[in-house]
Amino acid sequence: MLELAIGIILGCCALGAGAAMIAGIGPGIGEGNAVAAACEAIGRQPESKGSVTSTMLMGCAVAETTGLYALVIAILLIFVAPRMLVNILMEAVGK
Amino acid sequence: MREWFSKTDPTVKKETLYIASVTGILSLLLQAGFLVSMHWNYTVLLGNLLGAVTAVGNFFLMGLTVQNAVEREKKPAADLMKFSQNMRLLMQLVVAVLGFALPCFNGYAVIIPLFFPRIAVTVRPFLKKNGE
Repeated sequence: MLELAIGIILGCCALGAGAAMIAGIGPGIGEGNAVAAACEAIGRQPESKGSVTSTMLMGCAVAETTGLYALVIAILLIFVAPRMLVNILMEAVGK
Repeated sequence: MREWFSKTDPTVKKETLYIASVTGILSLLLQAGFLVSMHWNYTVLLGNLLGAVTAVGNFFLMGLTVQNAVEREKKPAADLMKFSQNMRLLMQLVVAVLGFALPCFNGYAVIIPLFFPRIAVTVRPFLKKNGE
């Protein structure tokens, strides 16, 4: 029974980590759209390339943070949460 | 190598230098934080180095991708950016896993510096305002 409970905990952590990484798709799509708009802007005003690139870089750095949050949640779910949850379970059953 | 670096857009170099400077300063603060909380050892230093190099490298690679993408048409540019973002996220995932899996790195010291570029972007308007 204890093995089953530990298995469920590990399985749920792995599923949660996988689900969290779905958020990694969003920034890619957002950055793609932003770059496409920047291409259009530079095509219209080639002299503004420097400032558009600079603003783009900063915008992309902000957009990427969303993916990083997901990454951190996934890493914590894989490396930190299982040990913590199993310890809590062991304390609850008195082992 | 030098030729390749000279082809890099000056804007990308300038912004990467700014991100690297702020990451360096924040890394020092992180080390000080670990020292004050009595959790400092060599794994914190190694982890911080790994995380900071990855964060700055990720920003530089993003800059190179933007530099190449803005010279293309809309659709190929968007596709290139999506591909690059996925690959860079994978790179950061590998670094974070290494940070937690290898005993010579402190996992938290690897992950925290990955957010330093975001902090650098947030404080940029204030620094620019003071610089002007």
